[in-house]
Amino acid sequence: MRTRFDAQLMTLNRELIEMGALCEEAIALVADALANSDNNVIRKVVPIEEEINEKEHSIESMCLKLLLQQQPVARDLRQISAAMKMITDMKRVGVQATDIAEIISFLDGHTAEDCIEIQEMAKATIKMVTESVDAYVKCDTKLAEIVIQHDDVVDNYFDRVKNRLIEMIAQNLVDGQYALDLLMIAKYFERIGDHAANVAAWVVFSVTGEHVEV
Amino acid sequence: MTKRIFRSICLVALAVLLAALVLIMGVLYDYFSEVQKEQLRVETTLAAQGVATSGESYFDGLETEGYRITWIQEDGTVLYDSQANHVEMENHLEREEVKEALEHGYGESVRYSDTMMERQLYSAQRLPDSSIVRVSSNQYTVVTLLLGMMQPMCIILFFAAILASLFASKVSKNIVKPMNELNLDEPLSNEGYDELSPLLRRIASQQEQLKTQEQELQKKQDEFRAITSSMTEGLILLNNKGAIISMNHAACQLFNVDDCIGDSILTVNRSRVLQELLAKAQNGERAETTIELNGSEYQLDASPVKSEDAVTGVVLLLFDVTEKVKAEQLRREFTANVSHELKTPLHTISGCAELMMNHLVKPEDMKQFTEQIYTESQRMIQLVEDIIELSHLDEGAEEMKYENVDLLILAKDNMNRLQSEADEKNVTMSLFGDETVVYGIPQLLTGIVYNLCDNAIKYNREGGKVQIEVRKEEQHAVLTVKDTGIGISAEHHNRVFERFYRVDKSHSKEVGGTGLGLSIVKHACKVHNAKLELQSVPNEGTTVMIVFPCTSSKF
Repeated sequence: MRTRFDAQLMTLNRELIEMGALCEEAIALVADALANSDNNVIRKVVPIEEEINEKEHSIESMCLKLLLQQQPVARDLRQISAAMKMITDMKRVGVQATDIAEIISFLDGHTAEDCIEIQEMAKATIKMVTESVDAYVKCDTKLAEIVIQHDDVVDNYFDRVKNRLIEMIAQNLVDGQYALDLLMIAKYFERIGDHAANVAAWVVFSVTGEHVEV
Repeated sequence: MTKRIFRSICLVALAVLLAALVLIMGVLYDYFSEVQKEQLRVETTLAAQGVATSGESYFDGLETEGYRITWIQEDGTVLYDSQANHVEMENHLEREEVKEALEHGYGESVRYSDTMMERQLYSAQRLPDSSIVRVSSNQYTVVTLLLGMMQPMCIILFFAAILASLFASKVSKNIVKPMNELNLDEPLSNEGYDELSPLLRRIASQQEQLKTQEQELQKKQDEFRAITSSMTEGLILLNNKGAIISMNHAACQLFNVDDCIGDSILTVNRSRVLQELLAKAQNGERAETTIELNGSEYQLDASPVKSEDAVTGVVLLLFDVTEKVKAEQLRREFTANVSHELKTPLHTISGCAELMMNHLVKPEDMKQFTEQIYTESQRMIQLVEDIIELSHLDEGAEEMKYENVDLLILAKDNMNRLQSEADEKNVTMSLFGDETVVYGIPQLLTGIVYNLCDNAIKYNREGGKVQIEVRKEEQHAVLTVKDTGIGISAEHHNRVFERFYRVDKSHSKEVGGTGLGLSIVKHACKVHNAKLELQSVPNEGTTVMIVFPCTSSKF
């Protein structure tokens, strides 16, 4: 009975890692498109987002089944409930990556070349997402806490991007539409950072049973 | 063990008890009933004499403990009974013992009570007056006796059981103790019961077998590990669920993990390329792909391990193809560059020629056009020559002859060759140093000096300087070309020696040149085992230093 349960937990673990990898891929594609203009990025990201949604559904039903049939306790219970929370955050990452891709396709070949901060912000966000998935894979609470702290860096970047855009608009260097689009992109990255921090917090919960303030 | 011994002891005790009981009942019961009968007879005789002599008065005050005395008249009427009212009693004439006594003077009979629990012994004697005295006594039957003995027997059985359990546990302990103390590592050295020796011998032989098998396995594993750990390629074995069975050292380093045996491959790397590759391999197909790890390109081969048509695992092999990919990229770039460089002068030539053909050129401009055609074709010739030289160097410079070459003279010759160019740009050239002889290939050495000086002039500023120094050190000959030109910023330092690499692509046409000069220098240095050093500060100047090894050893 227990071996069956363990096998199910392993499957859950594998699915979660796969979902994390999909999120990483989506956001990496988006960041790449932002640096080197790619109008087709939306066509690449949407299938990934769909896959992420499918994964969310399958993981959710798997978790419910496990809760119902195995009635897990202690660590197992924490792992499963944390998984259910994590997939929500991961799904949001996928959705927001798609939103960014959509805005990029409206930029008409423009990139974020005028605003170097936004590219750095994208890099910092990718790092957060990658490390939060890493923390889950390795059950590494220290790494998870680093990710949670790293959220401040991304938030900081958002302020810098905002100030830079205000400056650019003030000097009439860019048109308002473009600046607003960039601001939206920055906001989405900031949200993705928050979700990555949430995932990291759930990793800490599933290992130690303690809630971390994000 | 204890239970079994206990059971057998109990069974033995029960059997002994039953046997003893049967013996006692069978032998002693008969004896005792015989004795009782005898006593009854004597008692009857005594009673008969008593009645005969004293009549009815004999019964007065007679104590008849254990016996019942009945006096019966000749016609069967009961005259007296010691235990019942004689008036109510029926006629006793039909009783067996009475009949017998009437006939023979004495009679006996035995009757069982209704319940069979008791039996009555009767004995009767005829008196001289023909009346009969009958005495009877009760005798317990076997069943009654047995029932009576039930309680003590139960007690005995109970004690027997307690004793049996005590003995059983003790005996079993005593039997098992030496067995538990057996040293199974060396089964033959034990001094146990003789009954155990076949078992011990079998254990010994099995242990021997196990040991050899273990050694063989260990040997094979060591061999495997030795082979895989010295491999530079990464090797990973996975089971059919994607868990890692084995991972060699190179693979561990590549994926930057320590111990991950038993974990899923996903925990090591979760890239989609790898997942798709594994999915293919798990379907039984061989598959390959390239993956980027730690900044290098790796080729990943996945082959399924099959047994009886089912995929039982996957073997992953990783090898570094960075060089290959880079070389391929260089080749592609080279081809693109060559065609581009050749096309530019050809366009100019063909354009000029077309204008001339269509008589669109004024006679006074003719000279300018022909000059342009000439310089462009010269440039093409130079380019083709450079390419040929490079390809010679690529092929290897074995056919070229080594000679002793004086670098100072060589530098002077080249300076003279470039004097006109220098004058055009108003650049002053100076040469100083000692005579320094190098054992090398003159054409290549000329190529080095010419190209370095050419660059120093070309990328100089108006009125700049070029200093050429030839110096002799203990083990080396050093050639230094120093200019006061535009310089090269640090990020280009590594790339300027690549073929067709231009720092400033937009101005290449004005400056001229093929983009192959420094590449030739680099190759020529390699052929001579010389060290090439580049120091440059943008807008201040560039210094190229070439250190030739062992000037004198090859004289």
